[in-house]
Amino acid sequence: MPEKIINASYDALVIGGGIAGGEAALNLANNGFKVLIVEKDLSIGGKMILLSKVFPTLDCSACITTPKVSEISRHKDITIFTESEVKYIVKTGEKSFNAQVIRNPRYVITEDCTGCQLCEQACPVIVSDQYQYNLVGRKAAFIPFSIASPRVAAIDIENCTLCGACEKVCPTKCIDFSQEIQEYDLEIKTVVIATGFKLFDPLLIPRYGYGIYKNIITSMQMERQLAPTRPFNTILRPGDGKVPDRIAYVLCTGSRDVTVGNPICSQICCMYSIKQAQLLMGALPMADVTIYYINIRSFGKGFEEFYDQAKGMGVNFVKGKIGKIREKDNGDLIMRYEDINENVVKEAEHDMVVLSVGVLPNTDSASLFTDGELKLDPFSFVFQSDPLASPAKTSIEGVFVAGTATGPMDIPDSILSAGAASSEAMSYLIRK
Amino acid sequence: MAAINPEFGKELNRYGAFDFNACYNCGTCTAVCSLSTEEDSFPREMVRFSVLGMKDEIKSSLKPWLCYYCGECSTNCPQEANPGELMMSLRRWLTTEYDWTKLSGLLYRSLPLTIIGFIIIAIGVLIFSALENFNLQSIMHIGHFFEIIAIASVFGFILLPNIIRMWWLIIMKPRIKVPLMKYITGFGELIVHMFTQKRSLGCDNNQLRWFEHFILVIGYLGLLFTTVFLDWFSNDNLFVIVLGYIMSIIIFIVTIDFMSDRIKKQKEMSKFSQPSDWMFVVWLFLMGLTAFIVRLFIDTGLIEQNIWLYLFHLTILVQWALIIVPFGKWTHFLYRSFAMYFAKIKSQ
Repeated sequence: MPEKIINASYDALVIGGGIAGGEAALNLANNGFKVLIVEKDLSIGGKMILLSKVFPTLDCSACITTPKVSEISRHKDITIFTESEVKYIVKTGEKSFNAQVIRNPRYVITEDCTGCQLCEQACPVIVSDQYQYNLVGRKAAFIPFSIASPRVAAIDIENCTLCGACEKVCPTKCIDFSQEIQEYDLEIKTVVIATGFKLFDPLLIPRYGYGIYKNIITSMQMERQLAPTRPFNTILRPGDGKVPDRIAYVLCTGSRDVTVGNPICSQICCMYSIKQAQLLMGALPMADVTIYYINIRSFGKGFEEFYDQAKGMGVNFVKGKIGKIREKDNGDLIMRYEDINENVVKEAEHDMVVLSVGVLPNTDSASLFTDGELKLDPFSFVFQSDPLASPAKTSIEGVFVAGTATGPMDIPDSILSAGAASSEAMSYLIRK
Repeated sequence: MAAINPEFGKELNRYGAFDFNACYNCGTCTAVCSLSTEEDSFPREMVRFSVLGMKDEIKSSLKPWLCYYCGECSTNCPQEANPGELMMSLRRWLTTEYDWTKLSGLLYRSLPLTIIGFIIIAIGVLIFSALENFNLQSIMHIGHFFEIIAIASVFGFILLPNIIRMWWLIIMKPRIKVPLMKYITGFGELIVHMFTQKRSLGCDNNQLRWFEHFILVIGYLGLLFTTVFLDWFSNDNLFVIVLGYIMSIIIFIVTIDFMSDRIKKQKEMSKFSQPSDWMFVVWLFLMGLTAFIVRLFIDTGLIEQNIWLYLFHLTILVQWALIIVPFGKWTHFLYRSFAMYFAKIKSQ
């Protein structure tokens, strides 16, 4: 049962607290507008806060994200609802929307939690850690990740045994199992959709054996292994903890592939794979890294040079998509592919395989508005009604879209897109 | 470097091929193909040749015959370019290229012409029967002789010259030197492949289909032998009679299964059926079934009152012998076996 219905009003509702949503919120708030960010996860920062480094500059991703995230969370005109969802939005008039938002219980009083992690130590339940992409475990009472914002504990109620161990050790008595869903009835003037993207699930391609062969991981799992807050403090293959010598990348896993329902290019996989290959060369100087590709799409500023740099460092690029993977008894993997330059089918052995998974639309945005008013494009990204002149406009006047909610793009483009969306939103707000 | 000929795509489409221009050369098809080897990698190369219209390269290639259409390439093709069906279409196209009469091309491309051919033969059989005053004894006698003559002349005038043309395109034109000894030592390969099609066992999960194919070939050759050389319909030897029954039962049971696959379309190879595919399997089925019933009627003494049944069987037989065997899908069986033979003698 909902605790109570709370009424409030904001100038702008930003849906999604990733880098695009955060940037758009910050722009709006810096111009004096009252902003609410609704984030479904336990922390803002989206996917970017979990990445290792960014291409093509190799800057530390967390070092760019965390100052931004802390600026957002301390801003006087920005309110953040984490673990919250927009149920639906109705347009009630010019510069007038009614939004129904629910805030799920975290079972921790956010204001009182000091992030001391005593509850985490006390909790007897271990489940896999979604913020480390299941490479390691976490407790049911946990702080999402070390640079989370807010950096406060949460109770994973689905896995919690209600033993009460966390409650006993909490020095500020902030754990509260009586919390319930809170419903908000909000008056809003404009909406920015920044719901981001989803990653392709390689279980949908059984011939690659992800989920069966232990030494095949996704690129996001490799990203975690390379990040400053990495789980193993080195690169290990999950099957037996061996440091890998021969690492292979499978590009276009779930992109440009009609059979899995995603015919378009994800635009980021070539470059993030090249980036990871360079980082691996630094982390494991003796390792061989091979990238199997259809075409390398290094179209952005500095991308081609970044690609050349990887080749110069000794990354091996092979033209040919991996057809099948099978596992040897020792956990090594045999990849079968056609070497396109030689017209010959070949097999190659690697001891760890990274599937460079593609970008999928986050279709949750379709149900934000009643009556299907928010149009989606043929690939289920948010439809841009005027992609050339006003790329942030959607099919609803006063509703704008930022970042990868419109389609695959990299971080600089997402931030640019967020800038466009916030400008459009502001000009809508001040228009007479 | 050969000139690019985009018109070739349109020509191939008439043999059943799909949108192979969608191919973006990732090589998934070749990599998932369990018959593809380092020496013979396909089907992507064939897709490439087809897109560019490199006819000479296709004509001198054996790769279309090395494919047994398990359909893995089409299932996994990220562009839905359907390489499996392209390989099938190339086999049809090659059949017409080998054929000096060019009749097979006409029949593959035009269903109405094929139907007209079948009707003419049916009328011919009726006229012949009328000339014989519908006398069952003499019709059966001549029908039996017809089989022997048809086999000899189809082979001598059509299939043998076509195989020589195939040999010329594959061995002589590209100037491949093959010592005479290899023609002799490789001959075993031809016989083994003709009777067992053992290469198709290399396809994943193909054991049942291979077995069905195998007993179908045995059944077909067995029935041919029983009717032509042992004169099944006029033979009183119990062993021969039972043998014929078994062979004809095998044929119509296996063909029923193949037809149901083509109707259900669950397997990749059964999804796209051309008229030539249907004719092959339906006529084979009808041959097995009518032969069985004719002999049954002979044994039960009903045949004298049901001469139409024998005429129906004879019509099917003549259509099979004069259209499907020399110009239709039957030739795939022959060319495929020779393709293995040529591949063997070309190698090393």
